[in-house]
Amino acid sequence: MKRLIFIAITLFSIIGCSKFPVDEDGLLITDRNECYVSNFELLGRDYQIARSKAPVIDTIAQTIDVEVLYGTDLKNLWPQFSLCPDAKLEPKITGFVDFSDLQPKEWTVISGDRKVRKTYTVTVTVQERTYE
Amino acid sequence: MKYYSYIKKLLLVISPILLYSCSEKDYEIPEGNTSLHNDCIKRSIGPNIIGNNIEFVYAMSLGPEQGKIELAQVEASIAGSENTYLENRSFHTNLSGEDVPIEIGKPSVNDGNTTYVEFTKDTCAASLRYYYYIPEEARGKEVSFKFSAKASTGEEVNYKLGPYKISKLDMKLDIELTDGNNCYFSVADMKSYSETEAIQNPGKIDLIYLYRPLSGVNFNHVLISPSNSDYRQDFNVPSELTNQSMLWKVYGVRDKHLARLEFGVYVDDVDFEKMGFDNAPDYAMDLKAEYGVWIETADKKYRAYIYINKVNETNKTMTVSIKRYTMN
Repeated sequence: MKRLIFIAITLFSIIGCSKFPVDEDGLLITDRNECYVSNFELLGRDYQIARSKAPVIDTIAQTIDVEVLYGTDLKNLWPQFSLCPDAKLEPKITGFVDFSDLQPKEWTVISGDRKVRKTYTVTVTVQERTYE
Repeated sequence: MKYYSYIKKLLLVISPILLYSCSEKDYEIPEGNTSLHNDCIKRSIGPNIIGNNIEFVYAMSLGPEQGKIELAQVEASIAGSENTYLENRSFHTNLSGEDVPIEIGKPSVNDGNTTYVEFTKDTCAASLRYYYYIPEEARGKEVSFKFSAKASTGEEVNYKLGPYKISKLDMKLDIELTDGNNCYFSVADMKSYSETEAIQNPGKIDLIYLYRPLSGVNFNHVLISPSNSDYRQDFNVPSELTNQSMLWKVYGVRDKHLARLEFGVYVDDVDFEKMGFDNAPDYAMDLKAEYGVWIETADKKYRAYIYINKVNETNKTMTVSIKRYTMN
């Protein structure tokens, strides 16, 4: 009887694990096909929020426009993406990113099933000083 | 029925053990160590900075009927500066939690590397504090201590502590910068200067302090390199001042030496040794109390951490404290 239970659990485990394989990053490949950025943050070198207002995320046009505070050190900004469930980002962000050329930068969101890829363009602008 | 029989057998086996273990044993008060003995702890924490002290507590005792303590002394591997002393008062804590001192001897004497107290009270136990003021000679070196005591019985004991690494850091507290007046800051001198003074020593000026409450943006209290022309606003920097210092603005690094707050961290030599300034900006704006800046001077001779103790919008001032590390 015990042997039967053991075999049943082992078989169940094998079947259960085989449903969601892992990708090269060790992340589960699921059956979700959603693929979008749900939120975006930009931190300065002091790990404080560097943006001056809420970012504009357009999931149709796949763009993110963000304005940073006047005087922000553009060479040292840390973008943080919040993604839909099971999605991942490419290339990975492992440190501060240099935005000092103010050129749009691209990151690709990959869906949970790894079949949908959407490239988002991030554009950083700097808050301008207003003169009274 | 089967269970009842089992429990009965179990009780029969366990009962004698329980009864035996509960039987009262004659208690004897343990005998204390009546020979002269000692113990020591280091009380201060954080990096050991020149000019500051390292605090220890040295305790010694022997049996009350055996004799009395005659001498306590500390030998440092590098002589402490002249402020170094061994307390001639023994402290104990009363029921209110207060430290109560009792004088046990003459004030301590510093003789070369040794600091000693000769006992004048007939006492068999004392707990003395030792404050080793770190001398310039110890910078970057290691220092060890040998605590020792002598009793009238002829017994001698000692306790060794260390070695402790002495920091290469320099420190200065509460330097006031005033917008438009003493707004020039020198890391080399750890001092603020007026414009006239700054022009006389242009190579030493690493930062300029500005306060500008600009409309619509967060500028406010700013530290900026003399070379930066993007954010100096209406401020005219004398042409003699050209240094470009690199700065990292940080929040929350409340160094316990500089901030003197209840909670915090210690900025130590290793922080400066490992820090990189690649791609660092030459300004830090919208600074507030409890912010700080890591700085590397233009000649790369110094790295420092400048902690902002307070800012004042009305007086247009910033009070800072600094820890400075001289690079090799």
